[in-house]
Amino acid sequence: MKFGSIVFAGLMLAVGVVYETMALNMPRGNLAYPGPGLFPMIIGAFMIAMALGCLVQDFLPPKKSDAAANALIPKEEPAAEEERNFMKTFQLIALMIAYILALKPVGFPIAICIFLALAIRIFGYRKWLPALAMAAVITVVSYMSFVIWLAVPLPMGILEDILG
Amino acid sequence: MDLFSGLIHGFSVALTPMNLLFGFLGAVIGTIVGILPGLGPLGAMALLLSLTYGFDPTAGMILFAGIYFGAMYGGSTTSILLNIPGEAASVITVIEGYQMARRGRAGAALAVAAVGSFVAGTISLIGLSFLAPTLATAALKFGPPEYLAVALVGLVIMSRLTGGNLFKSLLMISLGLALGTVGMETVAGYMRYTFHQPLLAQGIDFLPVAMGLFGISEVLVTAEQKMGQVQLQKVRFRELWPTFVEWRRSFWPMIRGSFIGFFVGLIPGPSPVISTMVSYSVERKLDKYGEFGKGAIEGVAGPEAANNASVGAAYVPLMALGIPFTPAMAVVMAVLLIHGINPGPLLMTEKPDLFWGVIASMYIGNFMLLVFNLPLVGVFANIIRTPLYLLMPIVLLLCLVGVYSVNNSMLDIWLMTGFGLLGYFLRRLGYDLAPLVLALVLGPMMERSFREAMMISRGDMWVFVNRPISGTILAVGAIVLIAPLLIAWIKPLFKRKSAAQS
Repeated sequence: MKFGSIVFAGLMLAVGVVYETMALNMPRGNLAYPGPGLFPMIIGAFMIAMALGCLVQDFLPPKKSDAAANALIPKEEPAAEEERNFMKTFQLIALMIAYILALKPVGFPIAICIFLALAIRIFGYRKWLPALAMAAVITVVSYMSFVIWLAVPLPMGILEDILG
Repeated sequence: MDLFSGLIHGFSVALTPMNLLFGFLGAVIGTIVGILPGLGPLGAMALLLSLTYGFDPTAGMILFAGIYFGAMYGGSTTSILLNIPGEAASVITVIEGYQMARRGRAGAALAVAAVGSFVAGTISLIGLSFLAPTLATAALKFGPPEYLAVALVGLVIMSRLTGGNLFKSLLMISLGLALGTVGMETVAGYMRYTFHQPLLAQGIDFLPVAMGLFGISEVLVTAEQKMGQVQLQKVRFRELWPTFVEWRRSFWPMIRGSFIGFFVGLIPGPSPVISTMVSYSVERKLDKYGEFGKGAIEGVAGPEAANNASVGAAYVPLMALGIPFTPAMAVVMAVLLIHGINPGPLLMTEKPDLFWGVIASMYIGNFMLLVFNLPLVGVFANIIRTPLYLLMPIVLLLCLVGVYSVNNSMLDIWLMTGFGLLGYFLRRLGYDLAPLVLALVLGPMMERSFREAMMISRGDMWVFVNRPISGTILAVGAIVLIAPLLIAWIKPLFKRKSAAQS
């Protein structure tokens, strides 16, 4: 995870630099009458400093006290199966993005039903037909509660004429 | 309104059928999320935040109080019966609780945990009822410098206490503050970091951020864990009653746990978790029977009392100052912000229905939870049989629909997904999310206080140090920040000296 840690700290450093540059271009006012740029300027500088701190820390050899502090927090997953597990996260995120993109054109009921069926499979239930059936039931319940009862104006997409 | 007429007024609000129903719902939901691993009170509250938009703010606050207290009760159930902590504040309970269950004393452990939670909940509510109004009255004298000092020191203490790396916590604070500056600035209406997107002019909404960081990312982390079928131990009703010796042994740990929990709860940080650790180590030091590690009942009674007491205490700074010190309280505050209520010292006098109603409903909720967790514990324990492959997609559905329902905005769904992903990576990289969320919530208030303080003092930076209250608060913050560094620096010197002498 060291590599990821360095990449993230580097990314934060870049964000900090961009943030600070934009802050410096805002009217700063003076201390007696601070403008909109003063507070962001302080934050940006702080952010850059802390990101540098994290980077330096990653390049230094680990200290004993760090190891002891980490031991207090119970480790959740064994590192061995990281790759296969990571796929699940990736699939879920892709699924969520697909749902958001499909929401307007296809409509909520169909999009969420397919979303649920696939999500149930990602979480380890492998049979297609029961998964689709469960998804359909949840879809109907959520349609009743959110669209009809709570009147959330979710897009209906291609079902607009039937349900809208 | 003094304390007693306030409380009586509060009970008249809390006992209306609608508010009772919300208290009941909160307690049920809280118990369920407490029992279910992979979904804690914070995630549940973030998830339901969008729904409270449609309720009266008092009802929303009552619902959330029920959830928070309920999760502290429910968390112990699976810790004791299954060796699986239902949420973070019950991790410690696993140590002694599961050992007790293996010796056939699961019923006693559950009963002591429930009664301990009730005692502690009541003690901390009495503390809240006294302390919040007193603090609110004192806080009427607070000016902008004091508010800035409290928020700043709160963030510093929190980043120290989360146990992780200091630089990482401070980096999260800076990111949260930076996100808080996005949007139209309040004094001159200047657009900051909006990148010409009109949707960003109102700033980054707290709701999608909280739902993403605590809801979505929790689901993503859970997705990676191995899931197996669990074997549930049956607990019969008559086994629930602890023996006289067990009662006697748990009495003082409960009382100690209550006070430890309350005082730890006042400190910014993940107080429910820390309070259980402090209570456990205290009880372990006081151990008279040599049973620790083999199922000592003190190790269940103390920590389970402590985590409940810390919840009541966490409400003190929120209700009195309008400043949340824990991520959960930030979400609770969002219930008020959604309705355009800015909590502060005036909340008690301007909205007595809400202030006293919420506190009174906590007393009632505490009673309900005792009932849920003693006679009905067997019923609720079955919830853990809910398969994760069904639960987690439903949680995602609630997030996806809920976040859209508030502003009907596609941007909010994207923001939530983005922050869910960010939260996932941050968790994996060992960053703590709490400082990020608190800084985002406190940021705009801090900037406003800073600018007002500067205008009042005509640009004199010493205003923060020269005013007695803000000066004292800042001094405390400086000590907290520097003391551990000094200790780390001095300790080796002493060691070398003693090594040279021997």
